[in-house]
Amino acid sequence: MIETLPAMQTTRVRTVDFMQPLTDQPQPDAPAFGVKNLSMWYGAKEAIKNVTIDVPAKRVTAIIGPSGCGKSTFLRCLNRMHELVPRTRVEGEVLFAGQNLYSPDVDPAMIRRRIGMVFQKSNPFPTMSIAENVLVGLKLNGVRDRNLLNERLEKSLRMAALWSEVKDDLRKPGISLSGGQQQRLCIARAIAIEPEVLLMDEPASALDPIATMKIEELITELKANYTIVIVTHNMQQASRCSDFTAFFYMGALIEFANTAKIFSNPTRRQTEDYITGRFG
Amino acid sequence: MEEKRHILGTFDEALRSLRENVLMMASLTERNLNHAIAGLLQRDDELCALSIADDAEIDELEKQIDKDGIDVLLRFQPVASDLRRVVSAIKMNSNLERVADQAVSIGRRARKLNQHPPLQEIELIDPMHRHAVAMLRDSVDAYMREDAALAREIKPRDKALDEMNSNAGRTLTERMGDNPEQLRGYLNLMFIARCLERVGDHATNIAEDAVYAVAAEDIRHMHKKPAIEEQHSPEV
Repeated sequence: MIETLPAMQTTRVRTVDFMQPLTDQPQPDAPAFGVKNLSMWYGAKEAIKNVTIDVPAKRVTAIIGPSGCGKSTFLRCLNRMHELVPRTRVEGEVLFAGQNLYSPDVDPAMIRRRIGMVFQKSNPFPTMSIAENVLVGLKLNGVRDRNLLNERLEKSLRMAALWSEVKDDLRKPGISLSGGQQQRLCIARAIAIEPEVLLMDEPASALDPIATMKIEELITELKANYTIVIVTHNMQQASRCSDFTAFFYMGALIEFANTAKIFSNPTRRQTEDYITGRFG
Repeated sequence: MEEKRHILGTFDEALRSLRENVLMMASLTERNLNHAIAGLLQRDDELCALSIADDAEIDELEKQIDKDGIDVLLRFQPVASDLRRVVSAIKMNSNLERVADQAVSIGRRARKLNQHPPLQEIELIDPMHRHAVAMLRDSVDAYMREDAALAREIKPRDKALDEMNSNAGRTLTERMGDNPEQLRGYLNLMFIARCLERVGDHATNIAEDAVYAVAAEDIRHMHKKPAIEEQHSPEV
């Protein structure tokens, strides 16, 4: 139930002082997620192995690792999306706003309202217009106020850097947009319900370089208001748009540090081998 | 620890080629420096001319290494130790080219000195040359062998070279007073000593880049830190 979740602590938006190096480890104050000893199984297969990590608030955290290392599974554990897959089991805690997301009294639907998700393949609802796609979440949550809906429609599309491209075509089908625009439409849909966190599972992997850059630019802008966790196979993308990077291998968290540190001088040999292409 | 092979064999090949060219550059630079000093000590204008003429080859190699380094960055976008190796190679390249420029300057001054009767004070130059070349060789070796310990030894050795240069300067200034008709010759020797002192500075730069490449540690300008802090500290 939403009532059982205390309001998120307000986090001051930091301005980056380029003269001061970022610390190697995430800032200790107000992590968005406190993941403690998280393990997760698909049937008998342990996909996530005893992961402990504090995901910093209002920052971009990238999760990298080879295919099958558990990075998408870990992401889904942050809003219980894995529960949509049969025979899954979780141990450990994911603290969000001081509450364990896996407590029996927490409503998964409400978690997903506060912790939005953008998937690898853009998935606008095919029968809905651009405007309907953006507003569907609000309408499902019972919002009927026309002014509020219009206001949120424009705000979400502006935040997703799509407004100027679609403002005259809001009634056109969402699937009439290009691949990059569809993905930004999905981001607008995710932020329309004003979540606190955006989980992104390879959001630009199917896009061309220009559309990819627009998504990356958008991520950089959105982090002022959202905690973003992004799974990516593209290490240049991780180094460009994230503040912190976590490297996963075979379900385990190998290293988590400031992105600049990970890509210039990682501590663990496995991380170095992976990011330099000496893996496997 | 043994280096694993890159998934892209072409990257390993490109990096190997880049490092080999840097090694070639270092060999040519050292050869030119030795020719210039031998031209001075043996009063051999041919060797002096060689050190000047061969600089063109080093300039071409410098451009090639820069081009190859940028090509590696562009094609492979290396990170972590790979990135540090490529960046350090490009920076070393620049330092080696400047050492070669010092060899040219020494060669030119040596030719001038060779036109006049020999000066006994030339003996001040030989130990400085040996010290500078040893520093240069060890700094390049430290980069090629990825030996951070050897690289860290270079900086203190530069202090000894600075001291030798100061001593040479003092001695030659005294001689100028005693023997003013040799003023021009002493000035040329002071200039050569200064060139060798600069070679030591470039060797130190190379060693610092080697430490960065191996250990991801920036050891440059460490001694200057307290001075900067003092400068900005509030008045009490």
